[in-house]
Amino acid sequence: MRKISRRGFFKVTAAGSSAVAVSSTKKAFGMKEFHGYPNSMGVLVDLTRCIGCRTCEAACNKEHGLPEPELPFDDFSVFDQVYHDGKEKRRTSDKAFTVVNRYNPKASGGEPVYRKFQCNHCNEPACLTSCFVNAYTKTKEGAVIYNPDVCVGCRMCMVACPFLVPAYTYESALHPQIKKCNFCYDTRLKYGKPPACVEACPQEALTFGHRKTLIKIAHERIRENPKKYVDHVYGETEVGGTSWMYLSGVPFDQLGFNTDLQHHPILDNTKSFLGFVPMVLGIWPALFMGFHLLAKGGKGNDEDKQSNK
Amino acid sequence: MKSRTIGILGGIILALILVSAPVFGMDNKPPATVMIDSLSHLFTGVEFDHNLHVEITEGCSVCHHHRFGNGVVDENCARCHSECQGTFSPTCSDCHVSDPFTGKHIREMEANPNRYHIDIPGLKAAYHLKCLTCHIKEEAPSECVDCHARTDAGNRFYHSGKYAPADGDKNKNHE
Repeated sequence: MRKISRRGFFKVTAAGSSAVAVSSTKKAFGMKEFHGYPNSMGVLVDLTRCIGCRTCEAACNKEHGLPEPELPFDDFSVFDQVYHDGKEKRRTSDKAFTVVNRYNPKASGGEPVYRKFQCNHCNEPACLTSCFVNAYTKTKEGAVIYNPDVCVGCRMCMVACPFLVPAYTYESALHPQIKKCNFCYDTRLKYGKPPACVEACPQEALTFGHRKTLIKIAHERIRENPKKYVDHVYGETEVGGTSWMYLSGVPFDQLGFNTDLQHHPILDNTKSFLGFVPMVLGIWPALFMGFHLLAKGGKGNDEDKQSNK
Repeated sequence: MKSRTIGILGGIILALILVSAPVFGMDNKPPATVMIDSLSHLFTGVEFDHNLHVEITEGCSVCHHHRFGNGVVDENCARCHSECQGTFSPTCSDCHVSDPFTGKHIREMEANPNRYHIDIPGLKAAYHLKCLTCHIKEEAPSECVDCHARTDAGNRFYHSGKYAPADGDKNKNHE
């Protein structure tokens, strides 16, 4: 054992405290806030307009060439389907990228309220940031798209998604992949066209436009009909903002929305840590090697040998 | 000087006549039925019984906003249009375009930052929002096929009728 001198002790203490001081200035590590692409498109879903006709589901099925549905799209008995002891309604799957569910919330006096859901195309998607092979891309038009060619099937994105949207083709043994709404990016959005569901909706419960304009429209609808709407645009700030946003006439938690989500991107939870990693890996080894050599003063080895004897 | 004044007055009178021409030309009689079929594809067109709806609604502006009829019902419209006395065309498609989400139309709506009406429903939505909202409220027929029958293309689209899934259990998942 080697004795630590008073001077050596101070050297090490100083090095440790300076490292802590550097790590606390986390803003210095390129952590710019991202509020979505400036011309990002989006869709405003006005649930007060939805009549549960399931036309959007049919349009999605046709647009993406999805398998034949279990029941016709004009069969409304699907609204009674529940899973997991009645706790869960229908969810998006590899065969249905969008689903409409019926709720009978207290706030509407038992009157049915329908809720469409699909991928919300987050500004800073958790699926994208969780993917270690970069299979996901957030396009400048606002879509979150997925590339099956590089996917390794870890399904981390399914765990990361705060809206439980990505689904997996478990039935495919050879080429399983993630399936989810892609905002009709390949067939429509990149050509400046609205998604198939938006075009099909008879009630314009889905309004397509620039995200910035949609936020204005949403707040204007609330302002003009304060009794009709809950004063909140779901998705304006949830998980840092989403391209698809919702207006509702009843509290969102009564329609199966997760209202406990944070109002900044999920990536923020790991950003401070991730910003710290390059510094630790790059600077610490050199720094502490330097301290080590200084502390030994070039004759440490001899001392060690002597003390070990 | 005098002839110039007369010229200006004449111009104003001519403009007034042109603006009110649709009303003069209409001999003040609304159509008995209106065929609504410009967008029909999955469903057939609707033969709308205009006479019936004139009888049961409180006034033209229930459906025609401030554009036609007598007085404005919607208080949001009345904020600016309370003085409007039905001098415009009653045609829905004059304001409600058939494809509201084209890039061109979105740019047009956003071109003037002071524009108030940035949230005009498209033609299909204008029909359904007006008709269906009232039909549900008044407990009038409100199923899709109550107003328009589905076409063959519609049946294929909804996987219904002769295109209905043959084996109900085939695709069952999530058990």
